[in-house]
Amino acid sequence: MSEKKTFKTAALMKELMKKYYEDGLSARKSGIPVAWVTAVSPVEIVYAAGLFPYYPENFGAIAAARKIADKLSVVAESKGYAHDLCAYARCGIGDAYASEHPVGEIIKPDLLLCCNTQCGSLPKWFEVAGRFYKAPYFLLDAPQIGAEPENLVTNYYLEQLKELISFLEEVTGKPFDYDRFGEVLYYSNEACRLWNEVLDTAAQKPAPFGFFDACFHMFPIVTMRGTKEAVVYYQALKDEVEERIIKENYAVPNERYKIYFDHIPLWPKLRWFSDLFASHGALMAVSLYTHSWAYFFDRNRPLESLAEQYTQEFVNRFFDYRIELKLRLMRKYNVDGFVLFSNRSCKPNAIGLYDKRNIISSMAGIPGVVFEADMSDLRFFSEEQVLAKLEPFFEQLESRGKK
Amino acid sequence: MNTGLNIEVLEYFNKVTEDPGQEARLWKEETGGKVIGFLLTDVPEELIHAAGFFPFGISGGKRRMSLADAHLQIWTCSYVRSNLAMALGGELDFLDGLVIPQRCDETRMVMGIWKHQKPLSFMDNFRPPRQVERPSAKNYYLGELRRFKKKLEEFRGSEITDEELKQSIRLYNSNRTLLEKLFDLHRQDPSLLSSRELYNIIMASMIISRKKLNRLLNRLLDTLNPKLPEETDCRVKIFISGTFLEPLEIADYIEESGGTIVGDDLKSGSRYFNGNVPEEGDFLEGFAERQMQKMPSASFDTSTNPRRHFLVNAVKEKNADGVLLLHLKYCEPENFDYYDTKQALKKAGIPVQKIDTEFGETSLGQLRTRVQAFMEMLGGVELI
Ligand code: SF4
Ligand code: SF4
Repeated sequence: MSEKKTFKTAALMKELMKKYYEDGLSARKSGIPVAWVTAVSPVEIVYAAGLFPYYPENFGAIAAARKIADKLSVVAESKGYAHDLCAYARCGIGDAYASEHPVGEIIKPDLLLCCNTQCGSLPKWFEVAGRFYKAPYFLLDAPQIGAEPENLVTNYYLEQLKELISFLEEVTGKPFDYDRFGEVLYYSNEACRLWNEVLDTAAQKPAPFGFFDACFHMFPIVTMRGTKEAVVYYQALKDEVEERIIKENYAVPNERYKIYFDHIPLWPKLRWFSDLFASHGALMAVSLYTHSWAYFFDRNRPLESLAEQYTQEFVNRFFDYRIELKLRLMRKYNVDGFVLFSNRSCKPNAIGLYDKRNIISSMAGIPGVVFEADMSDLRFFSEEQVLAKLEPFFEQLESRGKK
Repeated sequence: MNTGLNIEVLEYFNKVTEDPGQEARLWKEETGGKVIGFLLTDVPEELIHAAGFFPFGISGGKRRMSLADAHLQIWTCSYVRSNLAMALGGELDFLDGLVIPQRCDETRMVMGIWKHQKPLSFMDNFRPPRQVERPSAKNYYLGELRRFKKKLEEFRGSEITDEELKQSIRLYNSNRTLLEKLFDLHRQDPSLLSSRELYNIIMASMIISRKKLNRLLNRLLDTLNPKLPEETDCRVKIFISGTFLEPLEIADYIEESGGTIVGDDLKSGSRYFNGNVPEEGDFLEGFAERQMQKMPSASFDTSTNPRRHFLVNAVKEKNADGVLLLHLKYCEPENFDYYDTKQALKKAGIPVQKIDTEFGETSLGQLRTRVQAFMEMLGGVELI
């Protein structure tokens, strides 16, 4: 397999990440409270309120990518936190109690803001952390919805956004700055637009960019959505991807198939997976996961718009509508097969995948496979078992390709 | 003392839980009505009842769990797995409807699978708020209750009248009050009613005609005469915390080591019958009030009365000697609470022990040993 050149923007990413952590560490000293937030939560409000938003999930992903999730987890397990909890939570709690911090220490919160659209693990983890760090905890509760948006749910969320703003005003002692909020929304919209334009290039055949690249480049869209830096970053990335198209520098050099992937990648095995799929000429092209950050906020009705977008995220939908969303992406990217990851860390996304595989296969008429592992923790990963699932899938792709 | 009369009632309750579907099936045959199943708890059952349906609490099964393997990973909670297995095995074929209250990822996600595998004519994801302290929670919950009520009305083809609702609330309040009384009597004089008998009745109360339940509980209470406090034998008092008392044998193991259960915060226990709904005023408001003031649990914790403080207080109030944390394996919300709960209890000087439990084929021997060890530590005596 030919080694493809790494993205130039990777260097920019390193700088961004470094600066983000430095800012986080020095925030408190300069009187800026650190707010723990969750990936699918209205961080725009936190930025507008002048707080530093910190994503402990991201800490979990970094620990996973550096292959030490199990070490942090063991510390949490020694307290009685079970190894079947979400690994991000186990890493976060483990780090709180650990005496060694091989990936640096988690940044301690002054307050915790959790939105439960994603899962039930985050609110429980944040409750634990709130007690541990003795910091106030605010839950943005999002009842799950089906295909149709529900006023009941949007209004509930909207009312909570207002409660959140009052809560932040109390914490900061400053009135909420709506002008600044408008500016943040503008940057958020721009970053989302650019990010999705980059993602969409994976639909070209062959494609300059795929899911594994997206996993590498998603840090700013998750954590810095709403800042100017994120916009600058994705503009640079987009330019580079376009340049790659011209230079015919493709993600998988001899791309033969496109694959849909659900959901979070196996962080410690990113490289292994990407090489494995590339060796079969298969581009992991798309996932609902990386497409989560596709917001467009109406700046004339900012709070309403926030309430709509965040409650209507795929993570907050019922079973059937999630299938529909997956099918839409599969069609849009014209994929040849799909791989569903039964991630024991992430119950809300794993539960139902066995049935979804059968339903999607019969609806889309393409092969699909489910495999078992944990996104972070290698104790639950068996190369043989995963290959035993994937090899027949590759064969199916081959035999269909020949037809 | 047990008289002939109460033995008859107790045996009746035993028969009910031995074959949980039997009462509902009979009722269905007799009345031609519809049975609506629900997962525990936090479902405003009175609305289902007022619409003329038979509310049936699905409390997990033990057999053929493997039927769920093709649909739910083995690391999902065994309560939900066993319920789905029962449905797949045809044990719940008498259901016309299903309500799943969303409390965790399992209850948020399993409905879709159920819908595809065992579609029923009425299926609802009931969504209580998961923060209960800010004003928005109550407003939302009222809306959710209205939505749920309307859906029930559409299913039955006519509106639920205030009078119907009032009758159902009264009946449910009466049942809840009688269950509280029964629990009180058991606490006062454990020889009247064993812990297992008590919890068996609570389980039965979710799957039996609520009118019949009222009659049976009244009959039972009439025959129970507690001894004077100085005459009752001295037992080690245990508070149990968690989601389910599963298997019920745990109650036996506590008792055979000289203990008795004096309180709990279980879904298959006090959480089910804790708190009444006002019989006057706006009924939906009343439901909301009840929900907001219910005892905290892993899915509905509060900062004003956090679960661990609630537990410390409950233990003191009930004069319990120790707390048994029944941890249903793979129940995430419970597991996240465990460590801090344990620390809070220890700090208050309350002995505490966690025991892992599971629906399905559990090794009873091991469970027994663990319960006995804890009881011994608390100074219990072997009775047999
Ligand atoms: S990985 Fe899944 S369970 Fe864990 S925090 Fe993310 S959404 Fe929640
Ligand atoms: S026992 Fe726990 S995991 Fe299972 S349904 Fe109840 S809250 Fe959810």
